[in-house]
Amino acid sequence: MKAFPWASGAALGVLALAAPLMLERGTLNDVWSLAFAVVLASAWNLLGGFAGQVSLGYSAFLGIGAYATVLLSLRGMNPFLTLPLGAALAAAFSVLVGLPAFRLRGPYFTIATIGVGEVVRVCASSVSFTGGSSGLRMPPGSFDFTLNYLSMATLAIAVVALAAFVKRSAFGQALAAIRQDIDAAEALGIDSTRFKLAAHALSAALVAVAGGLYAINFQYIAPGSVFDFRLSLSIVLMPIVGGVGTIAGPVLGALVFSTLQVKLLSIPALRDSYLFLYGTLLIVVMLFEPKGILGLLRRFFDRRLRRFYADA
Amino acid sequence: MQDIAGVLVNSVISAALYATMAYGLAVIYGVMRIINLAHAGLMMLGAYATLTLFTRFSLDPFLSLFVVGPLFFLIGVVLYHLVVSRLPRSGATPSMESLLLLFGVWLVLQNLAYVIWTGDTQSILTGYTMKSVAVFGVRVGVPSFFVFAGSVLSLVFLNVVLKATYLGKAIRAVTQNRDAALLAGVDADRISAVAFGLGTAFAGVAGGMLSTLYAFTPDFGRSFLLKAFCIIVLGGMESVTGVAAGALVLALLENGLAVWTTIPTSFQDAVSFALLFVALVAFPRGLPGLFARFARSRTIR
Repeated sequence: MKAFPWASGAALGVLALAAPLMLERGTLNDVWSLAFAVVLASAWNLLGGFAGQVSLGYSAFLGIGAYATVLLSLRGMNPFLTLPLGAALAAAFSVLVGLPAFRLRGPYFTIATIGVGEVVRVCASSVSFTGGSSGLRMPPGSFDFTLNYLSMATLAIAVVALAAFVKRSAFGQALAAIRQDIDAAEALGIDSTRFKLAAHALSAALVAVAGGLYAINFQYIAPGSVFDFRLSLSIVLMPIVGGVGTIAGPVLGALVFSTLQVKLLSIPALRDSYLFLYGTLLIVVMLFEPKGILGLLRRFFDRRLRRFYADA
Repeated sequence: MQDIAGVLVNSVISAALYATMAYGLAVIYGVMRIINLAHAGLMMLGAYATLTLFTRFSLDPFLSLFVVGPLFFLIGVVLYHLVVSRLPRSGATPSMESLLLLFGVWLVLQNLAYVIWTGDTQSILTGYTMKSVAVFGVRVGVPSFFVFAGSVLSLVFLNVVLKATYLGKAIRAVTQNRDAALLAGVDADRISAVAFGLGTAFAGVAGGMLSTLYAFTPDFGRSFLLKAFCIIVLGGMESVTGVAAGALVLALLENGLAVWTTIPTSFQDAVSFALLFVALVAFPRGLPGLFARFARSRTIR
């Protein structure tokens, strides 16, 4: 029974990597978006789920990664070699932001992070070297969809595996202690600020890599796309709707969201207001099942299993 | 000299408006220990309600505040009973669930507005929008002048309610100690509903006034929410003078930077955020904490 989640995870990973052999380009594009969503949701979950620090400013890290990739590629670097640099930059920025922001607890931290996203977006659209609000285009001749797909799928698998590893590690246990009761954790000798900063930096770096791959795949970025507040929203909503603080929850949430996204964006009337549905989903989840879809499933299957054992 | 007078007058005007926004948040926080993220959405809705009254019934935007205020009070009470009251109660610090729930409400409001009014930028143009009057030798736009009057009026109204009525006394009692208020026979649940209504009404009125100064879209209100939060961090959630002082500090900084430095106005939203961070690092307990610390160090010596 214990091996089941690992086996199913590995099977899904192999399927995702083998997908280019079986699926056509259009479907593959949707799978790419799904993998992108999985990376964002699982990376956010490292800080927001495991440590309970809900941040609404993650588009800043995505944007930093995307801009680092485009700006360095325009200076002649190989786009894929820019990814670690973007990640390092985003991690450094996350520490810079985290040092003052982690003085705040719970909801206050969340509101401060709205500000981080806003300021970064404002700066990116006003400064000249980022191309202002009209954005930047990647240098031509750097597009290979299969390669893009495989790198995003690999990243998604790596992030989910990393999340599973972190959750079981001493680091993950410390984060869990911080989430449950920060004062008690401090009393046990956990330097909460250092652990929060580490989790923040790790998830920021992963999101920045996803941002770089986003830039490589779409070949064009603008403050309105990569620094969009709605992107920050989706990053938060996916793990929360799926099941916050778990491994499978963010993946499930990403699956639901990217499916909805594809369906909803094909209806022109809903292009501006698709977040309406997400908002409703969030209200429903918070009111009725704070553990998200995963909690709902677990409740359902637990009852089934118990009945099964009672009958046997 | 002219510059200083201009910055001062404009700052006092913006500070009054900012205080109106921040009070709506502070009342709800005080009574329920909830940070109302939907405040931004409600301000946006207030702007659109004013616009609708203006275009459909050609009602003056400042007169329509007398409609928007009570209407938003009702909306707030309904919202409280429909959504907020179903949450488990927050303890001493706000719960993450309440924040996320109201965040969901904000999203729903925002996208409802996209459906009803589309994403086009709207603005309210009246006969006096472009006119200005002289205050202490400073040209001030007529709408700004009215906004100042409206803000002061609503703040006086709130203070009278809080100080002079049973309702206000009950609100203050629940803010100070919910359990003790319950023991003294205050219906804390009803007071919570009223407080949520009051906070929502303030958001609606603030939004209505903002609509006469700025163009707006359904995305409107986020930067103002940040400003309100910055003011509350500066001024402390509980004290009335603290909120006013925080609003004035923020307004002075914004206007001063716009006049005396070459920082482009597009960075103005970043000012409140930078101030927020500085405040958090330098004096995490806000201006009252800073003053208290200062006073203490003086007496010790």
